[in-house]
Formats: sequence, structure tokens, C-alpha cells
Amino acid sequence: MGDLGLNIPQLLAQLVSFLVLFALLYFFAYKPILRMFDERSQRIKESVEQAEKVKEEAAAAEEENRKKLEAAAKEGQEAIARAMRAGDEARQRAQQEAQVEAAGLVEKARQEIQREREEVIGELRQEFADLAVAAAEKVIEKSLDKEAHRELIEKVLDESTTLDKE
Amino acid sequence: MSTRRGCLGCSFPVLIVIIVIVLAVGIVSFLSGALGKAMVGDVGLPEIFTVEAPHVQLPAEPIFHIGEFTITNTLIASWITIIVLVALAWAVTHRIKLIPSRLQTLLEFAIEWLLNLCIDVAGEKNGRRFFPVITTIFLFVIMNSWLSLVPGFGSITYTVAEHGEEHVLPLLRGANTDINFTLALSIVSFIFVSYFGIRYSRILFAKQFFNGGRFLRGHGQLVRGKVKSGFGEIFFGAIDMFVGFLELISFIIRLVSFAFRLFGNMLGGEILILMMLFLMPFLLAVPFYGLELLVGAIQALIFGGLTLVFATMAVTLHEHEETH
Repeated sequence: MGDLGLNIPQLLAQLVSFLVLFALLYFFAYKPILRMFDERSQRIKESVEQAEKVKEEAAAAEEENRKKLEAAAKEGQEAIARAMRAGDEARQRAQQEAQVEAAGLVEKARQEIQREREEVIGELRQEFADLAVAAAEKVIEKSLDKEAHRELIEKVLDESTTLDKE
Repeated sequence: MSTRRGCLGCSFPVLIVIIVIVLAVGIVSFLSGALGKAMVGDVGLPEIFTVEAPHVQLPAEPIFHIGEFTITNTLIASWITIIVLVALAWAVTHRIKLIPSRLQTLLEFAIEWLLNLCIDVAGEKNGRRFFPVITTIFLFVIMNSWLSLVPGFGSITYTVAEHGEEHVLPLLRGANTDINFTLALSIVSFIFVSYFGIRYSRILFAKQFFNGGRFLRGHGQLVRGKVKSGFGEIFFGAIDMFVGFLELISFIIRLVSFAFRLFGNMLGGEILILMMLFLMPFLLAVPFYGLELLVGAIQALIFGGLTLVFATMAVTLHEHEETH
């Protein structure tokens, strides 16, 4: 054994060297690196989970958007329908009002015409009576009592149908 | 590609120059080496080319003494290995990052490979337990052998005056080539295996070596008068004890075989390179350097791997028992 160089102090020195290396590597290499491995795998796991979550959230948001959009479209449609209905109603009302007004106007015009007609008839009668008196005076060259004449004419006119007051 | 003519990635003139240089180095190394001198005779090359006959010495050379304690060149080399490994580890881990740098990737690759090896062999829980010791053994052995291949490692000499004579000694010598180192490492491996065996297999670990239960039971049966079964038990009990004894011998022999396997391989490699350098300097030793790189890695893997396997066997003894 001596030829091989085996001796106890050297053996112990190498043993101590190994232990020193073991301790140093344990604290400077294995511990931090293994912790890093764990941390990294943890981080990757978290990232994957987060990505999954984000994906789900995005899907949910999309679904919600779609729903909102649908609701909005429906509401819009309804608003349009309501507006159309309101428009129809307004038009009808306007039509009715216009009809009523037109009828009123027509009535008023008719009354006016009636009134004017009566007026004209009255005037005409007056004039006609005067004319007839004047003509009769001329024809018979004799002045009749004005009052008596008038009565006569009125009577004639009343008997005629053309210039009836009715 | 068709316009580029050449061979082995060089154009022809470059290739020719390389071949001439290699041939010249080859001839010079042949003539200056022992092989050429024996075949051609001394052609009077300058002394710088000649290599002295290697002086093979098994024990590590003492460099200096501190009191009673001798500091040998292998001890210095193992300290240098420790410094290199710890410096590498510190350089990476004092600012370890989640997104690794190149150096961190390198170290992490090595550590992860060894961790996976441990986990593959010993399972998730035991693998993590064994990993620090196995990795330290592996890294220590491989770094010892690779550092001793670094050019200049064995060339730094140190002159010691002893008994009026001056000895020129290499300041550094690979720690793997010192029996003290390899024996220390195998003692570590031995204690490691025993510790885990006793801790996790408890009585079963001792029982594989000292298995006299059946032998004693046979005597008890003889006393109670069951002669036939008593003798049977004594016979098979004796076989059990003998097998246990063989187990014990092989367990202790492992200590020696671990030490000498590494020592022999590494010292042999060292001597091989020295011999090749002596026979034909420069050129002939180059392939052997490559070989020694491989041998260093393989020996480290064998030492670490065997320790791992034996430790795994020691902690899973009860599982074997259950399957029987």
C-alpha cells in the first residue's frame, strides 16, 4: 500500500476536500439552480393557466358583446317600428284633422255663399221692385200709390218660384 | 457550389499547405521521439524537441509541508478543481435569472441532466435526495480528469531540495491519479449508500448481510423434537448465512473496486499519454487526448451511476422483499 502512496492524512485531506466541494456546490449550485427550476416550471404553469383564463375571458366577453349587439339590434328594430307606428298615427291624425278642417271650411264657405246669395236676392228684389214700379208708372202714366204698388209686387214675387227666399 | 473546387472545406492550395505542415510536424516528431531514434538513429535535432523518458511514479509527489502535514501535487490539483467548479457555480448563481444567460444554460443543462438521471434511476423522491452527492461525485471526477488535460497542467514544475538533492516535480497532477483521492471518494460513496440503506430499509439493510434467523429457528425445532424439519432449517439457514457473508464481502470489496477502477483508469490514461509523448512527440498523443476526454467522462458517469444504483437498491430493499 505504501508503494501506491496510500496514507491516512492524505486520505482525510481528500475526504475534507470532497466535503468542502459538496457544501460549496450545495449552496452555490444545487440549491439556487433547483429553486430556479421549480420557479421556472411554476412560472410556466402560471403563464399557461393565465393564458387559458384570458382565453376564456375573451370568449365570455365576445359572447357578451354578441348578446349586447343582438339586444341593441332588437331595440333598434323596435325603435324603428315604434317610430313608424307613431308616424302612421301622426299622419292619420293629421289627415283626420285636415278632413275636419276642410269640412269646416267647406261648411263656412257654403254658409257664406248662402248668406251672400240671400243678400243678393234681397237686393235684387228691391231693385226689381223699384224697376217694376218705375216701369208700371211709365206704362200707365199714372203714379200709383207707392206703398200700394210695393205690396202688389211683393205678392207677385211671392207667388213666383224662381226668386223664392227658400 | 459547382464553381468552388476544393476538399474538406478548404481550397486546394490551403489543403496542400496544411498537409505539408502536418507532414513536417510528423517527421520532426518521429525523428525526435524514441521511436524514430531507435529506427533511424539520432539525427541531431535541437534539444528542445526531445522528450525525456517518462518517470512513472504511483504516489503523489509532496510539494511542501505544513508542520507534519504534507501538501501533495494531487491535493493542490483537487483544490484547483474545487475552485474552478465553485467559481463556475458562483458566476452563474450570484445573479441567477429566470431567462438564463449562455453560461447559466450550460450549467443548468448539466445539472438538469444529472437530476433527470437520478430521478430516472431512483424515482422522483429518492432521486432528489441522492442528487447532491451523485452530482458532486460526477462533477469532481470529470473536472479533475478534464483539467489535467489542459495544456500546461502537467508542465508547471517545482523544484524541491531534499537531502541535498534537487527534485524537479510537476506542481499539478490530476487528483484522480492519486489513490488517496479515489479511496476518499469511494468511502464517501460507501457511507452514502450505507446511510440511506440504514435510514430507509432499517433492519432489512443489516439482514441482507447477517441472516441467521433460519439457522436459529432450526435449532429451536430440534429442541422441540421436530428432527427432520429442524435439520432442514439448519441446512438452509447455513446457506442463508453464507449468502449474507458473500453479500457483506462484496459490499466491502465494492469500496476497493470503486477506488481502484478510477485510480487505474486515470493513472493508465496519464501514463499512456506520457508514453505516446515520449515515443513520438506532438502528433501521436493528440488522439489519446481525445480518448482521455471520453474516458474521464465515462469514469465520472460510472462512479456516480454505480453509487446511484447501489443507493437505490439499498433504499428499496423492502420493496424487493414484498415482491418475493
